[in-house]
Amino acid sequence: MNVPEPFTRTYGHEPFNLLRNAEDHPVNRSPVLELRDVSLRIPVFSMETRSLKRVLIRSVTGGALRKSGSGAEIEALRRISCTIYHGERVALIGHNGAGKSTFLRLVSGIYQPTTGLFRAHCPVFPMIQKSFITSPDLSGMQAAKGHYLLMHGDLRGFDAFIEDVIDFSGLGDFIHLPMKGYSEGMSARLLFSMLTASQHDCLALDEGFGAGDARFFERAQRRMEDFIASAGTLLLASHANELLRQFCTRGLVFHQGQIACDAPLEEALSFYHERCL
Amino acid sequence: MNAVFKSLRYAWSSRRAWWFTATARTRARFARTALGSFWLGLSNLFSIAALALVYGTVFKVQDFPHYVVYLGTGLVIWNAIAAALSSAPILFEHNAGHLKNTNLNPIFYTLEEWAFQVQSFVQSFGLVLVVLSFYQRTLFLHLVAVGLLPLLNLILFLYWLPLLVCLLGVRFRDLFQLVPIIVQLLFLLSPILYEKKSLGAMSWTADLNPFYRILSPLRHALIQGEFKADQSLLILAVNIIGITISLFLLDRQRRHLPFLV
Repeated sequence: MNVPEPFTRTYGHEPFNLLRNAEDHPVNRSPVLELRDVSLRIPVFSMETRSLKRVLIRSVTGGALRKSGSGAEIEALRRISCTIYHGERVALIGHNGAGKSTFLRLVSGIYQPTTGLFRAHCPVFPMIQKSFITSPDLSGMQAAKGHYLLMHGDLRGFDAFIEDVIDFSGLGDFIHLPMKGYSEGMSARLLFSMLTASQHDCLALDEGFGAGDARFFERAQRRMEDFIASAGTLLLASHANELLRQFCTRGLVFHQGQIACDAPLEEALSFYHERCL
Repeated sequence: MNAVFKSLRYAWSSRRAWWFTATARTRARFARTALGSFWLGLSNLFSIAALALVYGTVFKVQDFPHYVVYLGTGLVIWNAIAAALSSAPILFEHNAGHLKNTNLNPIFYTLEEWAFQVQSFVQSFGLVLVVLSFYQRTLFLHLVAVGLLPLLNLILFLYWLPLLVCLLGVRFRDLFQLVPIIVQLLFLLSPILYEKKSLGAMSWTADLNPFYRILSPLRHALIQGEFKADQSLLILAVNIIGITISLFLLDRQRRHLPFLV
């Protein structure tokens, strides 16, 4: 979803020099994402913090009740440091809850770091969206138009886009009907076709992204492969080693919110299977 | 201030998208109805007719045509303010899935909602003015001649105050219950069904009522054809400050939004 917000996107205040040692990283490639000591704490907002009654009581009791019911925080990412260069294909490895999806959300700008320095030099497209921006009362055509306007800011090239979406999703004239009448498979096909119809400089992809019914799956897989291959830079979170081997060359192993290993893919997978399972 | 400018720049660059999705919402709302968005104006006209009959009789109104125009213009403006405020506390909640899974700037949802409210208002306002013109023919003339700045003030107000309510509502769930009550109370306290002079010694309540301060200049311009420049410019300044503050607060709150919804 990218009507362009200004880039470079930077969080944190201190300037930093990433290439401390020129031998550490290839100097002929420009960094796309730079993270230094980035942590993300997710606040857990309880009823205590979200009730006017509690806030009023707290204010008149001078904050005496604050300690008894203050909201907790979950440290979802801890002191993450890494640099991702243009053109890299990076696998995010780890078991559920290790921090892969949180990392994807952080680099794509959905989350902002609590501490540390993070810099994104190009827009990162998060492929984790599971619903349309428009109401289900509207037609698939209007959903596609809304999506296209968000991506491009105007409708130039929309005809080719919608032709491709209709053709690939197989919706035909159903594209003009309200989406609330679509089956789950039809909605998934439409969403998949829309999201994979454009190329992106940097793609953050979660393997959980659905592609609809079984008949569609095979075609979807081929399109997904082309889509992934066309991305400038790829971050792919997955549990499927074969998928990671197919597309990635570098692996980041996440464990309890930290990067436990940053290495070429095979090394990272070995590390994960030996140490983290 | 930099954050506010960035937000405004994004609002401008994405204008076609949020305007389109708002228009699509209006269409969806009236899909499969025979009269379509005409219902927006009709529902206001039914309320005006009913209230004018009842309260015109209760208050023993002498000049009924004037009362209908007074009540009608006041009510359609009030309904726009009330609708914008009532939907505000759960705006982000409604967009929770997108806030958690897309990197769309949250200002998009506030602008889409604002555009939706403005489109609804313009349609109902237009129809109500057409009908009320049977009682006072100068309404459209006055609107064009002296009513544009008060109208602009209303439209700006419909953005920033609901945005502030929205930012509070995402933190304090009670607000969803509280806002309709406050709106109802303020309706009764605002000179809409009755004239300000009827309040007598209590007329200061109208002066302190921010909704009435927005409503009154537009209604006055429409009916009297008189432009109170100092008042309108002051309200414009308040609106600009309100927009700046609300955008600043939205930017500050942005990092928490995915976790609050």
